[in-house]
Amino acid sequence: MEKAKISAYQLFILIVLFELGSALLVPLAIEVNQDAWLAILIGMVGGFCLYLVYHGLYSYYPDLPPTEYIQKIMGSFLGKILAFIYVLYFIYLSARVLRDFGEMLITAFYWETPLFILNTLMVLLVIYTIRKGIEVLARTSELLFVLIILLGISALFLIVVSGIIQISNLEPVLEEGIKPVIKTTFTQTLYFPFGEVIIFSMILPYLNRPEKVKRIGLLAIGFSGLILASVMAINVSVLGVNNITRSPFPLLSTIQTIEVAGFLERLDVYFILLSVIGIFFKMCVFFYASVVGTANLFKVKESARLAFPLGLAILILSITIASNFSEHVKEGLHIITLYLHLPLQVIIPILLLLIAFIKNKKKKSNHNKNLLPKRKYRLAERDKN
Amino acid sequence: MFSFLKRKKQKNDRKIQELNNQNQTNKTLPNLIEKSLSKNLEVIKQKTGNSSDIVIRQLKICHNSKMKIAILYVKGMVDNQSVNDFVIESIINNQNLSEKLKPQDVLEVLTEDVVAVGGIKVVNDWEKLFTALMSGETITLIDGLSKGICASTQGGQRRSVQESTTNVSIRGSKEAFNESIETNTAMVRRIINNTDLWVESINIGKMTKTEVSIMYINGIAKNEIIEEVRKRLKGISIDGILESGYIEQLIEDQTNTTFPTIHHTERPDSVAGNLLEGKIAIFVNGTPFVLLVPALFIDFFQSVEDYYERFDISTAIRFLRTVIFLISLVGPAIYIAATTFHQEMIPTELAIIIAAQRESVPFPAFIEALIMEITFEILREASIRMPKAMGSTISIVGALVIGQAAIQAGIVSPGMVIVVSLTAIASFATPSYAVAITARLVRFIFMVGAATFGFYGIILVFILLIVHLCSLRSFGVPYMSPLAPFIREEAGDTIFRRPIWAYKKRPRLISGQNRVSQGENQKPQPPGTRVMKNTTNMEKGDQNES
Amino acid sequence: MNHKWILLFLIMTSTVFISGCWSQKELNELAIISAMAIDKNAEGKYVKTIQLVNPGNVAGGLQGGGSGQSPTVTVYSATGDSVLEAHFHATSKISRRLYHAHANLIVISEELAKEEGITDILDAFERDPEIRMTSRVVIAHHTKAGDLLKSLTAIDKIPAEKVNGTLQATERARGESMEVTLQDVITTLTSAGKETVISGFSLKGDIQQGKKIENIQQSELDTTLESDGLAIFKEGKLVDWYQGEMSRGVVWILDKIQQTDVIVDSEEQKNSLTYNVVRQNTKVSADTKNRLPVITVNVRAEGDIREVRSQIDLTDPYEILDIEKN
Repeated sequence: MEKAKISAYQLFILIVLFELGSALLVPLAIEVNQDAWLAILIGMVGGFCLYLVYHGLYSYYPDLPPTEYIQKIMGSFLGKILAFIYVLYFIYLSARVLRDFGEMLITAFYWETPLFILNTLMVLLVIYTIRKGIEVLARTSELLFVLIILLGISALFLIVVSGIIQISNLEPVLEEGIKPVIKTTFTQTLYFPFGEVIIFSMILPYLNRPEKVKRIGLLAIGFSGLILASVMAINVSVLGVNNITRSPFPLLSTIQTIEVAGFLERLDVYFILLSVIGIFFKMCVFFYASVVGTANLFKVKESARLAFPLGLAILILSITIASNFSEHVKEGLHIITLYLHLPLQVIIPILLLLIAFIKNKKKKSNHNKNLLPKRKYRLAERDKN
Repeated sequence: MFSFLKRKKQKNDRKIQELNNQNQTNKTLPNLIEKSLSKNLEVIKQKTGNSSDIVIRQLKICHNSKMKIAILYVKGMVDNQSVNDFVIESIINNQNLSEKLKPQDVLEVLTEDVVAVGGIKVVNDWEKLFTALMSGETITLIDGLSKGICASTQGGQRRSVQESTTNVSIRGSKEAFNESIETNTAMVRRIINNTDLWVESINIGKMTKTEVSIMYINGIAKNEIIEEVRKRLKGISIDGILESGYIEQLIEDQTNTTFPTIHHTERPDSVAGNLLEGKIAIFVNGTPFVLLVPALFIDFFQSVEDYYERFDISTAIRFLRTVIFLISLVGPAIYIAATTFHQEMIPTELAIIIAAQRESVPFPAFIEALIMEITFEILREASIRMPKAMGSTISIVGALVIGQAAIQAGIVSPGMVIVVSLTAIASFATPSYAVAITARLVRFIFMVGAATFGFYGIILVFILLIVHLCSLRSFGVPYMSPLAPFIREEAGDTIFRRPIWAYKKRPRLISGQNRVSQGENQKPQPPGTRVMKNTTNMEKGDQNES
Repeated sequence: MNHKWILLFLIMTSTVFISGCWSQKELNELAIISAMAIDKNAEGKYVKTIQLVNPGNVAGGLQGGGSGQSPTVTVYSATGDSVLEAHFHATSKISRRLYHAHANLIVISEELAKEEGITDILDAFERDPEIRMTSRVVIAHHTKAGDLLKSLTAIDKIPAEKVNGTLQATERARGESMEVTLQDVITTLTSAGKETVISGFSLKGDIQQGKKIENIQQSELDTTLESDGLAIFKEGKLVDWYQGEMSRGVVWILDKIQQTDVIVDSEEQKNSLTYNVVRQNTKVSADTKNRLPVITVNVRAEGDIREVRSQIDLTDPYEILDIEKN
């Protein structure tokens, strides 16, 4: 653990950028056609619940990363194995994000450039950032967030001005009832992107005002959920259900449809900007969690030294993870959600929370003694700042 | 009596020891001034190699006295009038000096009565004496006394206070610093008439012994930062300090960056404004450029004039500067990316025009841009280094031969010339030369990024740049603050410039505990305004009138 | 430690420079396609015709270019069993890399649309990421699609621009044609309950004459391109052409009318005044009455009276109301 502190506002931005990262680009919950936005919103509510679970664990161990408190909850041996699985999970997820990103660049813009090169550049950038530490990442996110917001607002303006929004495309709402929407939520949107906030339990211990964690986290998830839902709604209303189901990157298609004043056309650069910045943060957060988790688990003192080897591993993993894009997407939608996301994002955290709850109830008096002075000290420290 | 002497001796011994420690390299020099004047003069002559610009004038204190005194100064370093009138003449004409006086008494009479100069100090070791002599003070040595009197008669020819050439402004004080440190500190003190404006001086440079002063407002500047500045300055051990740039490079936080982490200015009002925010100014003798620490990235985009104009105007100008900076960074890069990777983004008509222009150009866009950029840099460098008389020649050669002829010969396309010259002008429109030069360098990285991966390359370099900027610190203060970390109450003075009356507090990360900078309700509220929105006020106004 | 960094730097720079050429393409090494046309020849093969811009002749004047001396566009045709094959055959005739991103016009021949439908050929266009989804689609009426690209035009230097401009102008001023983008076509083709409508374009005059530069060196062109009706599709196949009033009706119902003129008859005189619609809003609602589907078209129009031939007192508000009832 480096000695760094991030502010509540920075955490908010990190969560928002993380959530938007790749979810903004891919056709999210498109199985339910025009009701995708609804599935996202329901997923967001599920995300709130999951976040409360993660926050519950955090509130028991506010100074420890999950790789450490798992060992406290489950015991050293079992805990270590579980922590190791989580670290692997984080590494795997960052490799997946990287692959998504590379495939997107290739499909949309650089179809003659090898995947390996595009990914390498991104990984190098991420390694450089992570070596600078979480504070630098948080500060960078503050600056680039402004850029993203400006881009978003101007893109929205252009879409509205070019008059391509057709609200009728969003109708009929709930054509086949609520069932498919709920099903999509629980097979997709709950885990991706909302359940992925589990990664932030690695970062929460750095927050300088722990009492704000809950509110900020929920706000950030809510904010990003609303953005995702509205972007998806705009995509559907611009492209129509049929086009959107066939488009690998609906936002790109939407942006390509913009045509203002005869010369603002083909604004693909918007999409490149959004996607590179978004993916960069998503990668950084995943990668940071992997590095810190590994360092913590194997007691490596300088976690920055792990950045290069792990970065290399992620790079190679991202290439070998699937032999083509379809396989990659298939894995992501069906295998990963069922066998990785569901247990690691939902079941295990809830179990952990239960065990922690019981454990702490047992030695409540003991625990209170430990907890109180700490809180006091933190408050005093905050006042100083 | 004896014990007194003894104690004095002990004290001297300790000083000797200290001096020995300091001057271990300089062992040939006797440390203390001796009693015999002739011996002392011999030492001085030997030490200075009998330099011809050192004037040694020997006098008797009165007509029939045997006691000799010597007056020494360096020609040109002193103010001739004060040496002649207030030192030599007053010694010759003074009635209080008589042959009966002992050397110790002569010293007292001289210091208290005779020498009519403001700064007088008595030294007894060579080290200090020489420093004083070389800095333009007049030394008086008395035969039979192992002490010297230093009278501050610094003067001589200096550049007068002139208008600033590097930080030009339309409105505001026209004064700029000059090469004399006394004048410079005085100019700031003339603006801030407050006892809390503190100045500390040290001499840096083993050979040059340059006077360096740090100036800050006690109670506003953060103590930790002052201490850090002191520590870093004291740590400097170098032959010479020729310009504040030396200090800048020796005390900056991080060396492997192209971005300046220390600000410098030529304008007293700019220094005063920064001092009021809690920053620390470092004056170096012999240069008009005063350093300001800690420096934030946005400082380089602000000019003092922003605060003299109304806020709406200044905000608009600051926005313009942001755009200018972006153009000077990525102008050619975007052109390269658009014409070699993302042609679909160019409107069709424009794409056809550019294609037509490029039809006969033999180079790829990147090489073309590189040629033009380097040509431009050569022109710029030439126009700075050349004598002023050659300026028009260069502009003719630059504009006609290189611009016009290159296009007609089909070596470069007109579009590229437009882009490169726009970028060049943009880089001159950035208020700070230091950051404009950086932008020029970073521009090439952007161009390489654009030439290899188009917009993907540009964005990667851009993120890299932002990460790098965010990782910088200047004297412990994050370089990108108050934007990152974002501080809401200070972000109003970044690319925006809020109204003066809204500056309630000083920057949190820079100034110390005392942060309130102005009273409440500074917003002007003229009593007679007829505003419809507040009826109670209007009624009151009416009543007042009646 | 130090040479480790140098090594890393070398690796990074070399990746950057070696990789430099993959997706890079200089603007002057591209053959900018302004329009594409798909025909079918007698042997049942696809004929792809592409119209390339000669940038030097379009930009003109700048480098003493010979605009007016040589045509602004060059047209190539190639055949193949699929659209893509025809495309690749075309590359053997052209010295530069074909670049589609500025192709603003896709012309499809009438016969092809009638016999085979347009669904399959548009797939090739949709899959190519270079082709913009906002490019306009027209159907060649009474002529070969390829011929439509071969004729030179006067005011607009590039014929494709002329076609697009004409479509836009007629849609704005008369409402008898529509600008239909590739995206619109694909959307209507793929969604149930919507059928495709595409504007037609025809060539008036002799095509051989139209190819020559002399054609545009006179005040009245012998060969011109004209907007010509609307092609009505059913399940991807062309079934009918609507002309004039009929086509305007289609545009009304689709709520695409921006401006048009309506001639109103009064009781005593035909064509008594011309009404210029400036704004309108159309709502179509379907209902069943007595088991028969009833479709109601509700039009709200706003405009000016621009030409009056009979005696009407236009200052009288009741007269205006009367006219509006008509």
